[in-house]
Amino acid sequence: MSAALRSFESQWRARARDALQPIREAAMQRFLKLGLPSLRDETWRYTDLRALAEQSFREAGCVTSGAPTPGAALSLVHGEQHAATLTMINGCPMLHAGLPEMDGIEVDSIRGLYDRDPKRLRQFFGSATDADQRRWVLLNTALFIDGLYLKITKPVPTPLVIRHLSTGDGAQGRDGAQAAHPRVIIEAGPGASAIIIEHHLSEGDITPLNNSNTHIELGKDAQLEHYRVYATGAGATHLDSLDIHQSQDSRCRQFTIALGGGLVRSSLEARLNQPGASLDSYSLLVGHQDRHVDCVNIVTHAAPNTRSRQTARAIAGDVSRVIFNSKVIVNAGANDADSKQSCRGLLLSPNAEIDTRPQLEIHADAVKCAHGATTGRLDPDMLFYLLSRGLDRETAQSLLVYAFLADVLTGMSVSSARSAIENALISQLPDSQTLRKFR
Amino acid sequence: MLKISDLTARVAGKEILTGVNLTVNAGEVHAIMGPNGSGKSTLAQVLAGREDYEVIRGSVTFEGKDLLAMPAEQRARAGLFLGFQYPVEIPGVNNVYLLKAALNAKRKAAGEPEVDAYEFLALIRQKMKFMQMSESFLTRGVNEGFSGGEKKRNEVLQMLILEPKLAILDETDSGLDIDALKVVSTGVNSLRDPKRAVVLVTHYQRLLDYVIPDQVHVLSGGRIVKSGDKSLAQELERRGYDWVMGAQVA
Repeated sequence: MSAALRSFESQWRARARDALQPIREAAMQRFLKLGLPSLRDETWRYTDLRALAEQSFREAGCVTSGAPTPGAALSLVHGEQHAATLTMINGCPMLHAGLPEMDGIEVDSIRGLYDRDPKRLRQFFGSATDADQRRWVLLNTALFIDGLYLKITKPVPTPLVIRHLSTGDGAQGRDGAQAAHPRVIIEAGPGASAIIIEHHLSEGDITPLNNSNTHIELGKDAQLEHYRVYATGAGATHLDSLDIHQSQDSRCRQFTIALGGGLVRSSLEARLNQPGASLDSYSLLVGHQDRHVDCVNIVTHAAPNTRSRQTARAIAGDVSRVIFNSKVIVNAGANDADSKQSCRGLLLSPNAEIDTRPQLEIHADAVKCAHGATTGRLDPDMLFYLLSRGLDRETAQSLLVYAFLADVLTGMSVSSARSAIENALISQLPDSQTLRKFR
Repeated sequence: MLKISDLTARVAGKEILTGVNLTVNAGEVHAIMGPNGSGKSTLAQVLAGREDYEVIRGSVTFEGKDLLAMPAEQRARAGLFLGFQYPVEIPGVNNVYLLKAALNAKRKAAGEPEVDAYEFLALIRQKMKFMQMSESFLTRGVNEGFSGGEKKRNEVLQMLILEPKLAILDETDSGLDIDALKVVSTGVNSLRDPKRAVVLVTHYQRLLDYVIPDQVHVLSGGRIVKSGDKSLAQELERRGYDWVMGAQVA
């Protein structure tokens, strides 16, 4: 057993039992039996966790009171433009001031929900699975301390922000680096709609392991625009998974923005369970310095007349590596499923690497599925065109990089979030001073 | 204005231009004709400064300066304009933004202040009207989703905004219907001026019915094999390129 696995097991043994014990127990046993994913596992073939396996981890201290002080935190929304900011520190929700009152969104802790309605809570936890893309979700289920539960009951026009903050000494001491398992459950009732921004940050130079999971369920006609923005420090390891379950005629627009962290693994599993369900997924994956970003999307069309779009833009500079794997599965009977996968990669350095792999698995007869993936350097024809109009080389290159990202950026409806994300993004690109002129 | 001497250039290791000699004076319109593969587009691209086209011999001066020593952007700012045969689509870069950046780059090089945003919009609207282009152009990406004809109009529009001293138009007439051809020709003629020069690269004679050239040259095998006045174009149309190439052998 690896050092990492041993340390997770000892944390598990030290835990007090709670109402989710049978679910947690099953998840932990599967996790221990299967071990950490390796390069032999289908969705992990580009991400080597052997160095991580050699480390020990300790439970990140839960901070549940006192004002959070996210030092260099970039704010994604302006005060007047959002409904509320909820903060989770090291995976624990900061709800000490009482549950916030919001028109159209009920907020509770996950513990609060299992005190009130344990049966409902259990429905959000699937049975333990061996699927390699869900390996870390097993550990999250076993070890999460608490989490946030949001229930959207009607249309809410202003965005709600969830700020996930890693804080603490974080030193690789005798007990190892700190690990947290943030968990968020978002449920949108029939006809409800919301914009929710999850923003992951870390404080100072700490090197935490974050193993986060967000579970989204959309009722009939519900609409959600969801963002997850990874902006932790370069020392952070972030393993994030997102599950989306969609009912009839529900619509989800999802943005995954990788702008931080040293090792980032981001997965999305979406199930379009009923006719009319529609998902637009946008991924903006930025490789900077020696960052490693591994993004896996699996979208299952489980009902007829469902629609999915995946748009990914990967940029890799320096010695970074960006991976984007997407898979669309059309179940038997899910006729007239309509899916498109588009992934474009842009290499900004000879030592960077981008790997993309769009896949289709179709078990129905009448479907419309398209996919495409391209990776390259800046297009020399485009560059020459701009130069031939008198633009200097730096401006021309920056303009093309910015244009490359436009498909994802222009899809964002929260303008303040978009501009904050653009700002952070631009600072990680070459010629950032020139790029700022285009905003 | 432009003096090309013994220009020899390679593309991907293959010699495409094999010693071009050509002099274009201010106020003149020259047409360069020739069969497919004769090197017409290569000549246009080399003059505009395409880097992957390697000049191995010869010289080009533009207003007395060594053109080949200047990078593409500097040539543009000095007043050289290439109208592309196949203008590239650049989604995400707005047409107006590009035009404004191009104009300002030129003005900056000339020591002039940046163009006023309001005046610029008025200018672009006026030129668009002249080129019979739709308003939607203002909000679209560079050439994004444009038809072949729209792309060519856009090239001429850019030329009218930038007012180059020397315009090289590479098959700007190809793929145009007769109405679009007239609009494009009117655009080119509006730029005729004793201080400017135009080089039309074309496969067919029909553009030359609307933009009357002072001189016509036939490019074949990478060099100019015959020059004459506008009647040469008409003769070529009648007798075909084989006539010139046959004459070359003889």
